Amino acid sequence: MDIQQLLIEKIHRGDRSGAHALLDNWAAEYGYEHIPAEVLDPMLMQLGKEWSSSETFTLAQMYVAAKVTEDVMDKVAHLFTLPGEGKPPKGPVVIGNSEDDFHALGRHLVGTFLRAEGWDVHDLGNDVPATQFVDTAQEVGARVIGVSAMMLTTALHIKKVREEIDRRGLTGLIQLAVGGAVFNVCPGLAEEVGADGTVSNALKAAELFIRLGEQSVRKETGE
Amino acid sequence: MNSMERMQATMAGKPLDRRAVAPVLGLYGARLINCPLERYYSDPFAYARGQAAVREMFQPDVLYAPLAFASIGAAFGGELVHLDTMPPDLRTPAIQSIQQWNTLVPPDPDKHPQLLYFRDTIRLLAAQYGGEVPIVIMIPIPTEIPDMVMGLEGWLETVLFNPTAAQRVMEKIIPFYVRMVNGFFAAGASFVVMPCGFASSAIATRKMVSLFTRPILVNVLAQLNGPVVLQSMGAPMLDHLDLLTDMPQVSAFMVDQTDDLAMARSVIGPDSVLFGGLDCTNIGRMTATQVEERCRAILEERRQDARFVLGTSGPDVAWHTPPENIRALRKAADSFGRVAV
Repeated sequence: MDIQQLLIEKIHRGDRSGAHALLDNWAAEYGYEHIPAEVLDPMLMQLGKEWSSSETFTLAQMYVAAKVTEDVMDKVAHLFTLPGEGKPPKGPVVIGNSEDDFHALGRHLVGTFLRAEGWDVHDLGNDVPATQFVDTAQEVGARVIGVSAMMLTTALHIKKVREEIDRRGLTGLIQLAVGGAVFNVCPGLAEEVGADGTVSNALKAAELFIRLGEQSVRKETGE
Repeated sequence: MNSMERMQATMAGKPLDRRAVAPVLGLYGARLINCPLERYYSDPFAYARGQAAVREMFQPDVLYAPLAFASIGAAFGGELVHLDTMPPDLRTPAIQSIQQWNTLVPPDPDKHPQLLYFRDTIRLLAAQYGGEVPIVIMIPIPTEIPDMVMGLEGWLETVLFNPTAAQRVMEKIIPFYVRMVNGFFAAGASFVVMPCGFASSAIATRKMVSLFTRPILVNVLAQLNGPVVLQSMGAPMLDHLDLLTDMPQVSAFMVDQTDDLAMARSVIGPDSVLFGGLDCTNIGRMTATQVEERCRAILEERRQDARFVLGTSGPDVAWHTPPENIRALRKAADSFGRVAV
């Protein structure tokens, strides 16, 4: 069985220390610097495929996957001068919870998986007003804003972010990603709040942000 | 039959004049009486007025006491935030780290104003409707209380990676929880609905449920003085439902809208009541006709099920839900007629 599959088994069992031991053994033979590209990335990709819907994983398993990812990033951080484990930087992004939303866990998971993929994540925390999302995105040059919401009422506040992006003439240049439990329950809600994209779990956020970032570039260059 | 008789007959599997209908309309009462939510969730009289309006407008077969889980977190010292169209939430939990549990003293259910609010509301509702309508309160299972005290992330971290500390936390929580819930029964609650987030297949692994959640639940339920309904809290329940059966005091299960009702029935057996229905959020995003059609389909599927109640899954029915959508639940049950099983 390959290292990725062994690691996934540890994650399924919630065995974080077992995952550490596995990674340490692998690194002793091949070197820590190879873990991100040769172990972590394929493992996250495999998990993403496996956890294609909310019925195939638990929040606890997702949390363990995020913690193992963080652990890897901590272990290798000193080996690279660039953020994101030496990968080419993908650029800045802004994430936060919608106005009146105080459920941070999903956002934290998204932040972890985005950082692991090389994004420079600006996390604004809970209960973020629409203007703050867009102000920050403009300040740091982010092409994507990610807004998390758990309840319908807080999800509907995301419309204000959409309106603020449009009001400033940034439609398409700043893309709006949304996520959270309520989007999995309510079909069509992402479109209703004006999102440019959504995914069903945190692990798939990196893929979405890449796609939205590319859409933003196409808008800017007129391709 | 009045609502109390209808619910009792449902529990006994006896014939009914119509199916019992039990949407969660705690929050909706504030909308009906146009009451600011900060007052609604702190003044038992305001809440009781809201439920009087709910009863008058929709005649549900169950009246819910306040569903305000964050208030429990606030009673431990968390900072509460009142919102315009939702129950209060926690801006910041009482503690941030597992070490802080060592010195944390749980609030006194007989003295703390946030907790007395629940009990006083039950008492008011029971005095007004007790013989006519079951009064119910929704309080999460004990393994979820620490989530309200230290936040979900900190609690998940503890349960997953520090099981000894998690058990120590539960040793503090269990006596508090038992006193609080038995106080609700003493005040007049007919039964307590317990959302099982920490037993859901969306949140917890089977190992967590079987080794952590279930043993604690069995211990706590055995100390309670009244019947309990285990509820899905808007997340799939079916995959772990077998781990939640054969427990003391549990007389019913409220499963998620995504759970297959026939399969749920086969897991819980014929003697427990099964609640099922539409998601509390989606019911507000459908038309009344769609609600009625969906409810009729559910009732048709459960036609032979003597112990089935039509309700809503998840927490409160969303604020923006049109009243005609809520009436459509009852209309479906009325048009379906008698249950002669």
